[in-house]
Amino acid sequence: MKILIVTSGDPFVRGDAETAADGLRKALVEAGHQAELIVIPFRDYPARSIPDQMLACRLLDLTESCGARIDRMIGLKFPAYLIPHPNKVIWLLHQHRAAYELWGHPVSGSLIDCADGVVVRDAIRQADCELIPEAGTLYTQSQNVSSRLQRGSGITADVLYHPPADADCFHKGSAGDYLLFPSPVRRANRQRLALQALAQCRERVVIRFAGESADPAEQTECANAIRKFKLGDRVQWLGTVPDDQKRELYAQCLGVVYPPVDEDYGYVTLEAMLSAKAVITCSDAGGPVEFVADRRTGFVTDPTPQSLAQAMDMLWADRRCAGTLGDAGRDQYQDLRISWPNVVEKLTC
Amino acid sequence: MQVLPVLARDHEIVLWTDQSRVAPEVDKIAPVAKYNPEAPPWREINEGAVSIYHLGNDPGFHAGIWQVGAQQPGIIVLHDLCLHDFFFMLFVHHRKNRDAYLDTMERWYGGEGRQSAEAFCVGGISSESMAQKFPLTREATRNALGAVSHCAWVLEELNEMPACPTAVLNLPYAGASEPRYAAWRAARDAMPHPPYRLVVFGYLTRNRRLGPLLEALAGLPERERFRLELCGQLWGESIIRDQVERLGLNSIVSLSGFLFDDQVEQKLASADLAINLRYPSMGEGSLSQLQLWDYGLPTLVTRTGWYASLPEEVTAFVSPESEIPDIQAQLRRYLADPGAFRAMGERGRRALRNHDPAHYGQALARFAAGALEHAPQAAALDLARRIGSDLTGWLPSAASPYLLERTSQEIGRVFEGRQSE
Repeated sequence: MKILIVTSGDPFVRGDAETAADGLRKALVEAGHQAELIVIPFRDYPARSIPDQMLACRLLDLTESCGARIDRMIGLKFPAYLIPHPNKVIWLLHQHRAAYELWGHPVSGSLIDCADGVVVRDAIRQADCELIPEAGTLYTQSQNVSSRLQRGSGITADVLYHPPADADCFHKGSAGDYLLFPSPVRRANRQRLALQALAQCRERVVIRFAGESADPAEQTECANAIRKFKLGDRVQWLGTVPDDQKRELYAQCLGVVYPPVDEDYGYVTLEAMLSAKAVITCSDAGGPVEFVADRRTGFVTDPTPQSLAQAMDMLWADRRCAGTLGDAGRDQYQDLRISWPNVVEKLTC
Repeated sequence: MQVLPVLARDHEIVLWTDQSRVAPEVDKIAPVAKYNPEAPPWREINEGAVSIYHLGNDPGFHAGIWQVGAQQPGIIVLHDLCLHDFFFMLFVHHRKNRDAYLDTMERWYGGEGRQSAEAFCVGGISSESMAQKFPLTREATRNALGAVSHCAWVLEELNEMPACPTAVLNLPYAGASEPRYAAWRAARDAMPHPPYRLVVFGYLTRNRRLGPLLEALAGLPERERFRLELCGQLWGESIIRDQVERLGLNSIVSLSGFLFDDQVEQKLASADLAINLRYPSMGEGSLSQLQLWDYGLPTLVTRTGWYASLPEEVTAFVSPESEIPDIQAQLRRYLADPGAFRAMGERGRRALRNHDPAHYGQALARFAAGALEHAPQAAALDLARRIGSDLTGWLPSAASPYLLERTSQEIGRVFEGRQSE
């Protein structure tokens, strides 16, 4: 089949959605399809430009190219999934969250701070309700996204998990003397919570933080926390690391700390499971909680420093337990049959 | 203050103001929040389900309100329907932006509007004439989810119907208690008659027709049977005083100036006939007329705007085309049968039942809830306007029908959930 994957994104920005889109395209090609990726540039400010971009997507005609029919269109993100196509499938990575659960969020709720925020929010919600069901087949990337879709738009969608990039390259190594926290530094990823927890640990837990400094202000806050709690000898900031180094960090860690707020999916969880490492996450983390079984493949704690510290102490104090939990996580990953061929099969049937 | 207690009983209200002073009794009814029109706190404002903007002709009080309402769609309550003065003062005097005023006039009235605006700026046309011909009501409601007026037929007559849903609600007014009214009536009955006390009260600007009233009184042989009291801040006081002097009315006419509430009460309670002329009208409903009815006072009004909608049995009329003879005829009619006018005043008081604040508050809340459903259409219209404006710049007319049809279909699907054909 000739398949177009349509998504949207900010030019010069690359994140998990871009990784998913690239992985899908590659998997479709490997399965014998002709697949192209169309990225619609999308900017969510000023707010009144959002309906313009929605309309622009609606006016696109991707039914044919050079006289040949495009057999299928797979939409991933807002507003690209609004593009009409007679054979449209939506594999929803996430809706425009500022119009839903992030409406009014103290940090991430940008739309509410706009004069026409209410009108634009309602337009987004209306369009989603009306136009997402245009798709003949509808999946989301996680149960968390499915739940949001149901709550926000009253639409039901099955879940279709996919592997992280280079899934085959992750491996288990020996358990070293550190917990790994592999995420860009952002408030939503809660590095600061982990630092506050570290300060309350009874054990001499060490955390290595790997990831770009996506929010300089948050980076500064973390530095302040390290000074305040005198954690200098128990924290290592690695910044951005190459992929092979990142995989080695996973392989050699004792466990992974990953407590984001309401994450859509969360590659870190899967990367940890592929590396046979236990994951410490929080009950409000969203996607990660779908994979981490408390005290079977890791720990699901309350989103408090005290609760997180207890889990980190438990892992640190009982390495055998850490290994058992990690192995169970890898087994669970295998049981879930998370693979690109499965994704391709579902999206092309 | 008439409506607020009613609304606050059933709804969570936040009162937003950019004024430095707020009446102390207000925040006993609902919380008052301050805003800067240059940087409104959108987050807090957007937490409300709907915003209601009260708009009148005074930029000193209403500029900030309009500025916020022009950006955040809500319900506009039009306390004046002819808002040309407001926009002229706002753009030209307050913002020193004459171009914005000219562009606004052209937007709604084309080349004629722009030319007239240019002439007005150099004093070539009167403000009354501009207000009647170019009311700019639609500018005020351009971004609105809904508009409330107190006299819809005036909007139709002005050809300024908003694009949004409109509601016509009677001005709210909570009348005085019966015992209090009885006291006023007793005070009036205790006064010696004649002379009959005529009263004009309020902010006495040029459209209150004091000049024709004085001319009419001066020309009446029976004028000594009347006393006229002008109560309130007087525009052009020296002109009025000169006219009183010139017409030999010094023993009949007195000027009280600004009065406090208790003084107003004393004057109205002892008056026999209230002169409440307005011309030209800005279309507004008249709270002062309701106040006069509260005192059971018979009234003389100009047959224009909202006043023209009043029933014949509750007020006496003067035609703008024949003010002086009409005023004289009504005064003679009064002398012939003061009791008939007193009965008219009583009917006016009973008419206040149609201005129940509770009914107004409920109707306003219902309308606001209904107007919220119009929000997608408002957004669609805004998008359509902008798309149309852009297309005008480059789309050949031959290509327009297809693209316009396709665009309008998709706008409808995005905003209103209409299935495309």
